[in-house]
Amino acid sequence: MTEKNPTMHEVLVIEDDPEIRRFLRTALGAEQYRLREATTAAEGLHQATLPPDVIVLDLGLPDMDGLEVIRKIREKNKRTPIIVLSVRGSEEDKIHALDAGADDFVTKPFAVGELFARLRVVLRRGLEVPSEATVFRTGDIEVDPLRHRVTVNGKEVHLTRTEYKLLIVMVRHADRVLTHSQLLQEVWGENQEDQAHYVRVYMAQLRRKLEADPTRPKYLQTEPGIGYRLTTE
Amino acid sequence: MSSQLVVPYLGMKSSKGGEYLSSIAVAGLCSVIAVLLRNHLARENFVIIYMFAVMAVSIRYSRGPALVHAILAVASFHFFFVPPFDSFRMEDPTYVVTLFGILAVALVTTKLTMKIRNQAAEALQREEQTKELYRLREEAEMEVQKERTRNSLLSAVSHDLKTPLASIYGAATSLLEEEERLNAAERRDLSQSICAEAERLNRILTNLLEMTRLESGRKLTRGWYPLEEVVGAALTRLERSLRGRPIRTDIPPDLRLVWVDDVLLEQVFINLLENIVKYTPAGTPIGIAAWENDGWIEVAIEDRGPGFANGEEAHVFDKFFRGKVAGVRGVGLGLAICKAIIERHEGTIRAANGRSGGACIQFTLPVGGIPPEFHEASENTV
Repeated sequence: MTEKNPTMHEVLVIEDDPEIRRFLRTALGAEQYRLREATTAAEGLHQATLPPDVIVLDLGLPDMDGLEVIRKIREKNKRTPIIVLSVRGSEEDKIHALDAGADDFVTKPFAVGELFARLRVVLRRGLEVPSEATVFRTGDIEVDPLRHRVTVNGKEVHLTRTEYKLLIVMVRHADRVLTHSQLLQEVWGENQEDQAHYVRVYMAQLRRKLEADPTRPKYLQTEPGIGYRLTTE
Repeated sequence: MSSQLVVPYLGMKSSKGGEYLSSIAVAGLCSVIAVLLRNHLARENFVIIYMFAVMAVSIRYSRGPALVHAILAVASFHFFFVPPFDSFRMEDPTYVVTLFGILAVALVTTKLTMKIRNQAAEALQREEQTKELYRLREEAEMEVQKERTRNSLLSAVSHDLKTPLASIYGAATSLLEEEERLNAAERRDLSQSICAEAERLNRILTNLLEMTRLESGRKLTRGWYPLEEVVGAALTRLERSLRGRPIRTDIPPDLRLVWVDDVLLEQVFINLLENIVKYTPAGTPIGIAAWENDGWIEVAIEDRGPGFANGEEAHVFDKFFRGKVAGVRGVGLGLAICKAIIERHEGTIRAANGRSGGACIQFTLPVGGIPPEFHEASENTV
């Protein structure tokens, strides 16, 4: 958790609340992040024209709808990761934000550790491009894409074609949230709202094969109302 | 409005023109009967027949037709029964009294009938007004009730909000003012207290917000979910407070999917588990079981704590109910929210003491039919 940020990544925080900016300034500063601040969407969009390494965006800005801000940023800039700050009870807003191009979210109120974890993940993605051949490891799970081999504690696990495809998508986006519709799109190649339960059924099967206790998953975690996250930290 | 209301009330169906025609017809009919019976009955009897006809018409019809009938009746009586018969001449002037008598009966009856009709109309109108007033009062009472709920929510909660706030404020000011005199351990202790109390504040607000939204008819976002996943999400979220407790889950892998709002159902499990953490000794086990029963999924959560006190089971789902256990803090909304959520899913929830003596909460969830099929290539293992 306290691992520092050696490359002095620059974070653009777009947030209207001064107290939230204040503690972010202190906490991010302590983690060696360089910080830029914007208090309105207009100012944030202006600042984003000179891209930072990552954008932290509050979804409840006074001058523009959060989704609109994401779309406007994404019109010009597809790469800079965006982490949105949102409140509980607005799961739909979070899904829309993710669909509009945000990379992840943190629910207010949040512990700074949670935000640091999200920042590390989205920044890591920029550094190391996981190749198709990289063997993935988390805890006792190992996935070897070249040999199509999945092991738990060194013991090979047999997955169906769909289960394997689902796992590979989760591995490629490790530690990042994936919505039901993103998974449907990536694994089944089609996205129909009423078929989201297929993702859930296959996820349950994967858990039974990979997790020690599928009702208390360590790796394949649920983000209620949104989707899933494969955790490695 | 009143005349429209009165018409059916007194059994009057005909229109004004119809009434005139009928009243004339009655007069004619009366005359025909009178003429046919003229040689068989004493004359006094005919006065009665005419009087009856006049009264009947006056009661039944409105003033105009009644008067027309009365005049015709008088004329007919005069013509057929006042000597000399079959003429409008009059030998005995005392018959004038009879003629005026018939007319007077018509006028008085009409007048009385009109009065009764008006009174009926007024009564009807009053009844309508009373109904309207009653409705308005009911609405007002409901409004007051809502307001009271809101106020009781607020007043009950404002105390519970202020307590953690007081701890946070106290700890933070200690950190600020005593900064130099505190050692690292003390500072850490205060920071941890701020953290824990903020979490508590967040829990209270979440429940409060959820209750308000449920009461204002929040729409559910439903989907088909494996129950295991929702239970898993709740257990993961509460990992820290559940540490050290053996948890036995008994959910068959082939259990049908439940048709639920997963965020709300997760809240049910979170509230139930938090309750168990609050009311049972640390380290005691928790059991979660689910099975299908008659097209519904039954879920039971059982602990090994002291169980519900006698008679408490019936009230644990009431708003602001708190178990009588010393040292337990809470607003008393947790189980009320569970009930509201389960009922929004058409399910039922009940509390009882389990076989092992601990508390057991059991509820039902709908399966919502068969989820749509997904067509894909046949499955092979890799």
